[in-house]
Amino acid sequence: MRRERSRAPEMDVLAVALGALLAVAAVAFVARPFLAEPDAEDDRLAGRTSAEQERLELLERRDRALGALKELEFDHRTGKIADADYEASVGPLRREAAEAMRALEPLAPPARAPVEKVDARA
Amino acid sequence: MPGLGSAALVVAFGLVAYAAVAGGYAAHRGRRRLLESATNALFASFASVLLAALVLLAALARHDFSFAYVASHTSRELPLGYTLASFWSGQEGSLLLWLLVLTGIGSAAVALNRRLIRTVIPWTVPILGAIASFFALLLVFVASPFATQVAPADGAGMNPSLQNPYMLAHPPLLYLGYVGLTIPFAFAMGALASGRADERWIIATRRWTLASWTFLGFAILLGAKWAYEEVGWGGWYAWDPVENAALMPWLVATAYLHSVMVQEKKNMLRVWNAVLVAGAFCLSLFGTFLTRSGVINSIHSFTQSSIGAWFLGFIAVVAAVSTALIIYRLPLLRSRTRLESLVSREAAFLYNNLFLVAFALTVLWGVIYPLVSVAVRGVAETVGAPYYDFFAVAFGLPLVLLMGIGPLVAWRRASLRAVGRSLLWPAGAALIVGILLLLAGAGSSPAGLVGYTFAAFVLAAIALEFVRGTRARHALGGGSWPAAFTSLVGRNRRRYGGYVVHAAIVLLLVGAVGIGGFGTTQEGKLTQGQSVEVGDYTLTYLGSEQRRAANSQELRARLAVSRGGEDLGTVLAGKNRYFAEQQTSNEVAIRSDWLRAEDLFVIADQFNPDGSVFVKVIVNPLVNLIWLAGLLFVAGALITLWPDAREQRRLARRFDEEGALARA
Amino acid sequence: MARRRSPARLVIALSVAAALAIFLVYTALAGGTPSLRPSQVAGHDGRVSVAGKVVGQPSGTARGPEGLRFTIKDVQGTATLPVVYRGSVPDLFKTGRDVSVEGSLQNGVFVADKLVTKCPSKYTNKQS
Repeated sequence: MRRERSRAPEMDVLAVALGALLAVAAVAFVARPFLAEPDAEDDRLAGRTSAEQERLELLERRDRALGALKELEFDHRTGKIADADYEASVGPLRREAAEAMRALEPLAPPARAPVEKVDARA
Repeated sequence: MPGLGSAALVVAFGLVAYAAVAGGYAAHRGRRRLLESATNALFASFASVLLAALVLLAALARHDFSFAYVASHTSRELPLGYTLASFWSGQEGSLLLWLLVLTGIGSAAVALNRRLIRTVIPWTVPILGAIASFFALLLVFVASPFATQVAPADGAGMNPSLQNPYMLAHPPLLYLGYVGLTIPFAFAMGALASGRADERWIIATRRWTLASWTFLGFAILLGAKWAYEEVGWGGWYAWDPVENAALMPWLVATAYLHSVMVQEKKNMLRVWNAVLVAGAFCLSLFGTFLTRSGVINSIHSFTQSSIGAWFLGFIAVVAAVSTALIIYRLPLLRSRTRLESLVSREAAFLYNNLFLVAFALTVLWGVIYPLVSVAVRGVAETVGAPYYDFFAVAFGLPLVLLMGIGPLVAWRRASLRAVGRSLLWPAGAALIVGILLLLAGAGSSPAGLVGYTFAAFVLAAIALEFVRGTRARHALGGGSWPAAFTSLVGRNRRRYGGYVVHAAIVLLLVGAVGIGGFGTTQEGKLTQGQSVEVGDYTLTYLGSEQRRAANSQELRARLAVSRGGEDLGTVLAGKNRYFAEQQTSNEVAIRSDWLRAEDLFVIADQFNPDGSVFVKVIVNPLVNLIWLAGLLFVAGALITLWPDAREQRRLARRFDEEGALARA
Repeated sequence: MARRRSPARLVIALSVAAALAIFLVYTALAGGTPSLRPSQVAGHDGRVSVAGKVVGQPSGTARGPEGLRFTIKDVQGTATLPVVYRGSVPDLFKTGRDVSVEGSLQNGVFVADKLVTKCPSKYTNKQS
């Protein structure tokens, strides 16, 4: 590709300068996390422990059961589900939700425990 | 300034490549700062690509023909709007648009969800980076929009058929749809890669998916309207490979939107959803490839686009990696919940998926059939409209029926008796409508009659849903009926927004059947004063006129229209001759009757030296319902998309519960 | 993993397979229209579509008594084919354009009733 001769060479210099500026800015932005924390004690990406995973799955199960209950109520109220079918379905769904909520109790956030211990000792 | 544009693209390429590689390593090894760095790279790449886009826009605006791209797609007399829109009318520009939208919404999606998803984002960033790297690679090494040349005096101009408001809007909307499907894909694959079966990414990306699907659907209809008015053969959809290119991902995305609901509520169909979302994304890449590379048309030996092979390779890589990832995570994806009954809402969603995917596959088969037949028989064969029409009816009719039945069936297990009772009123209404239509003569198209009956069924079912819901809401909360109605819709946006979208699709069907099954055509030569009769209309040729416009010479035939003796005014149909492009285009006359929703479509084919004109006149019944359906479609989608404060609060509460754990 | 396979899966798989089979059979039997180059038309009797580049000067008018007469050439080659077309002329038709015509060969002249112009660099097709 032949460059247009009549275009001012200042434009080319300007383009190069701006391009270089852009590259420098990009590198700076990308390096920022390392520049901000040159030695980070905790560079580990917060993953999830199996306990957290279990709790999350229980939370989802509970929410799913509660959502299904809500929808069942709505469908019943709008007349889509007959009374008999409603009676048949609502029991198991309530049980499922209750089960999930019960299972969540022992997995309550441990943050509370140390504080209580301190209080007890005090 | 082309140097700046090229530099910006090179920097962008470096950034997204870094985001892909460094992000992948950071996700794999769990390095926080490196991931943040990769995420910054993704954000920065958007800025860089935006700069490149602005350089190109500026060059277009000032008619800088030293840019090869500007010279080959615009001319000095092209109006400014179209000049700027030629950004995406050529291959290099449209690739740049792809990359711009990808880095833009990719960055937004990551930024907005960084806090919410701790385990998926680390993998989403490198995936988005990798996809962006492909486009950046093409832009830097294969198809640069910043190639320069000795500036000619004037540019080559834009194809006159593209100089139309619809064509201004169509590509950006289409790309928002195509590229938008990258978000659910990247998040889904990210979820797979991270090995966490957490469902929150679905909720987080739900609106992105919906929005992209809406843009895609609307863009398809916009393209159809353009074809109807500009290409002007009387029809609205020609099953052309380029049209099908956008339809296929839309169909699969529709299937995904439905089955992902089942995953959210029942924790089922996880493998299927992963396959669907990967399929939708691959099809959107394929769609871009089809439209841009001309490879299907290239069996007619056109200049093979330089990027065709690259795209094909990329699609193959994406498909292979997605498949490998799904297989690798299969044990994790296998759901413990089983389909309990073939008569349940889950099953209805499944059937809906089947038909949608089957239809998408038949369209795909039709599109690639020329290539297959070349390989197998040695001669390329193309399938025509009858093939597509057959399957559109075969799969479309059951789908419409499902639209009516699905919402009336309960989750998990529905007794046939309960379903039958719910269906009674809508079915009755449908039967009455069917009989009335049959008596009115709609039996001339049996498929059309069945389609209309089903449409009546679905519309009645939807109306019933609204009535029952409002009644229940009113019984609960009291107040006025309108208040109950708005409160109902406001509290159940997904459900009722979805019903509105279904109604829009049904409306589309009614319009499509009208124009496809019940139209009339008449053609012939008319001398001055002579008339022709089409359907109810009588057209009389009054004479021809000439006019000079900005960049063309316009020749028109004026015809007087009347119906049943009533004078309906005149229409002008004819041709434009464009100076710069040395080309003639047809300018059809469309007279829309909004009360009947039908169009009188006039094509002035030929102006003879003796003063006579050859015209082709078509009556398209109900065609305007198609465009109305488009608007209703967007309205319904907006209702579904609208942020729900109650839902947000509920979600925030759940994340707090989980977050409290993390802070421990 | 699952001890009791749900019958639903089987139904689903079979339905998909059946649907696929239907259209494969349909297209094979009904057949598409062969898409040929001008050099390949000679042997074919039935309805075909031919793609090539318009060369020379078109004469006549598509709605006139003689029809629109033009010649198309192999896009990559030298074989030419005379065409006479009757119908609506699409927007982009002119010499040098790549077109696709559909019809049949009669007495050495290709009689076409469908004409499609293609624009390779811009991505749309025109139809009549």
